[in-house]
Formats: sequence, structure tokens, C-alpha cells
Amino acid sequence: MIGWDSWKKGFDAWEDATAKHLEAWLRSPLVLGPGGAALTAAMRAKRAADGALDAWWSAVGLPTRRDQERSMHALNQLQSRLIDLEETLAEMRAQQQGLQPPTKR
Amino acid sequence: MTEAAKEQRRWRNLLGMVKRPKPVVGATPADVVHRENKWSLLRYRARPEGVAYATPVLLVPSLINRHYVLDLQPGRSIAEALVARGHDVFIIDWGTPGPEDRLLSFDTITDTYLGRAIRVAAQHGARGKAHVLGYCLGGTLAVVHAAVRPAHIATLTALAAPVAFHDEGMLSLWTRSKGFDLGAMIDATGNVPWQLMQAAFQMLRPTLPLSKAAHVVDRAWDDEFLDGFFALEAWGNDNVSFPGEAYRRYIEGLYRADGLMRETFTLSGEPVLLRNITCPTLAVTFAHDNIVPEESAAPLIARIGSTDKERVHLPGGHVGAVISRKALATLWPTISAWWAAHDAESAAPVVVAEAAALEKPKAKRAGARLAR
Repeated sequence: MIGWDSWKKGFDAWEDATAKHLEAWLRSPLVLGPGGAALTAAMRAKRAADGALDAWWSAVGLPTRRDQERSMHALNQLQSRLIDLEETLAEMRAQQQGLQPPTKR
Repeated sequence: MTEAAKEQRRWRNLLGMVKRPKPVVGATPADVVHRENKWSLLRYRARPEGVAYATPVLLVPSLINRHYVLDLQPGRSIAEALVARGHDVFIIDWGTPGPEDRLLSFDTITDTYLGRAIRVAAQHGARGKAHVLGYCLGGTLAVVHAAVRPAHIATLTALAAPVAFHDEGMLSLWTRSKGFDLGAMIDATGNVPWQLMQAAFQMLRPTLPLSKAAHVVDRAWDDEFLDGFFALEAWGNDNVSFPGEAYRRYIEGLYRADGLMRETFTLSGEPVLLRNITCPTLAVTFAHDNIVPEESAAPLIARIGSTDKERVHLPGGHVGAVISRKALATLWPTISAWWAAHDAESAAPVVVAEAAALEKPKAKRAGARLAR
């Protein structure tokens, strides 16, 4: 497969040179700046659309997606605090029984 | 294999690629020993002859990649290799954040969740401590945790873990560019979509998809290569979104403020000072790592307060150098030996009575050649 091997060598050389060129180009403030601005504009538009939907949802007395997320997050936090308490109780019990030295969090 | 046979197999594999069975990933047997919110802690089942070391090992993968990169395929799995060497291995599976996890803070992940994983793993050891190995962002989390909550950490291994963020890498430049409005992005998306982050990683080597395609055609005759390639591709395209509030803190506190180098970063209100890390520490950096450049990972060793510290600098890239067959034969045995040496060293005070009875001198540091 001499033909393929030669093509592959040529491709590797081209790929390496092109990648270096593109990397240099992408690092340029002339690309990073407008790229970031375009992303930001798209994100602001999405936030505005979501906000309008949330406002409509609230107006009819229903919890918005953000409200539900906050409730779910609070439940997750409660779960972690319960596990914290279980851990503390287990440590205290172990200390009382002389099973292990006090652990430091 | 003759050239003709190679060609025959190459074309057969290329034509049959669509029908190729999905690669088996993350197959090393493990049990879930803790579950909280979306994350869980897995413990790999020990080898039949049992665990050989007193201190368990906790692997902390990146938040945005699946944990099974460290357990890619049978015969090409770091977890499997460490279990075979006699380690008691735990790994964090960060899971998939739900929409509500956009409110999850960096402190909850790094202090509460990681702290719990370390304590649960440490409980299974004789000394109440664990060897903690963090890979990529997982390494950064481990470093931040170790600086503030060192109690249950026997040793720290930072594998391609960024700690200095003001480098000239693309990701650093992008996050610091003026056009990038972090707040607008998090407000709009909640969790930062993995597709967006993958696009950013694509920018690191824009020609990579083409290069991969050519490489696959080149090596299509090699079934073993194809199995590994598709397993890695399956992992590479199975990414996780970044919890929004945690991302905000990560970018503002680490990428933009360079908080670990400038000592401005905090964990649950406590300052994160790298000089407070005093446990034995090993940092592994890679010469061709364009995701975490050497200048981003290497400063850890200079900044920490440990006297027993070492940096290993190896050729290779961010993923390949960690999971390749060569890494399984060289890097991981080195890390395993380093853990074993520190197990022997630090186990000495614990078994002092037994050691005195046996009239043995203090355990010799088998890995002295690795230290410092």
C-alpha cells in the first residue's frame, strides 16, 4: 500500500500545518471577541424567551421551571444534611464504644 | 500478517464498521457503596486473593466526563489493573446533573460530596485514610479539598490536574476573553451544556475529527486498535453538563482570578492555600497535553508545603497517555509502587507493637527512588 502510505504522510503534514494555523487564528482576539459576543447574544435571547414564558406561567398561578428546580435543589440539600447527621451519629457511637478515634471533618 | 491479509482485513473492517458491536465499557465488577443526589461511590471488587495494601485508593474523575475512562475496557482498564495489583479501589461516578443541579455550588461538590467520598473510602482502610488520585478537573477538586480538609488523605496524586489557569492555552484565553459573558450563559442554560464544552475542546485541535478518520482508515486492519478507538470515542461522546453555579465559581475563581496561585480561592469560606498541603504528593504532567498544558499542572509541586513531593513528566496527551497500554505498563505501576511505598512508611506507627515484637526495623521505603 505504498500509495496509501504516501498519502497518509502527506495528510499528516497538511493536518499538522493546518491545525497550527487554525489554532493561531482561533486564539486571535479578532476571533475570540466576536465569537464570545455572538454566544452572549444568543444566550441573552434565550434567557429573554425563557423569562417571558416563566412570566406567563406565573401569571396563571403555576410554578415556573425555576421554582421547581429550587424545590428539588432544597430536597437534595436536605438529603446531604441528613447524611451528614447520620455520619456524625455513627462517629459518636463509635467513639462511645471505643471503636475508632474521633474523626476530623 | 502479510500485506495482502492486512488489506483484506482493513476493507472488511471498514465495510463492516456500521455493524460493529458497541464496545463494552466500564466492565470491571464494582458495587455502589454510597449514593447521594446524582453521584455515587463505587468500590471495585477485590481480586480473589484479597487486598494487599492497608490504604484504599480513591479515584476522582473530572466532573464533565464519565468515570469509566479509568475503566475503559477489559485488558485496558486502570481500575482493573489496580485491583489486580491488590489495591482496594473506589471511584466517584458524578452521574448526570438534573436541571435543579444548576444551583449546586462548587463548595458542595468539593467539600461535601468529595469529602464524603474520601471518608467512606478511608473507613475501609486500616488507618482511616485514603490515597486520593484526581484526574483533570477531578485533580483540581482533590487539590482544593486537600488544602482545607487533609484529615483523611494519606497521599495526593494529581494527574494532569490544572492549578494555574493564566496560561496561554485556548481554554484560558477563551474564558478570559471580554466577549464571553459567563453570567448570561449560566442564566440561559442552567447547567452548562456538554455540547458547548465539547465545542470548546474541539477548538483546541480543529482538525482532530479529520485526523482521527484518517488514522482509523490507516489502522483499520487492527481489530484491537479499532476496539480501543471505538471505546474511547464512546466515552468521548458521552459527556456530562457542568452544574451552572459550580461552573460560575470555577471560571470566575480559578480561570479568571487564578485563585489557587494568587491564594484568593476559598472552600466553604476557608482560604485554599496550596502551602497547607503537607501530605506526600505526586503530580503527573504530560508533554503533549493541550487540554491541561504543563504550565498549568506543574506549579502544584512548587507551591505545596509537602516535603515528600515529586513530579513525573511524561510524553503523550491528556487522555492517551493515561489509558494507553504503555501507561498500563509504566505509569500505573509507578503510581501503584508510590502508594505501596507510602503505605509501608506510614503504616509503621500503626503497627508499631507488632513491628517491635517481630524485631523488624521500620519499613524501608521501597519507593524512595520516586520521592522528591
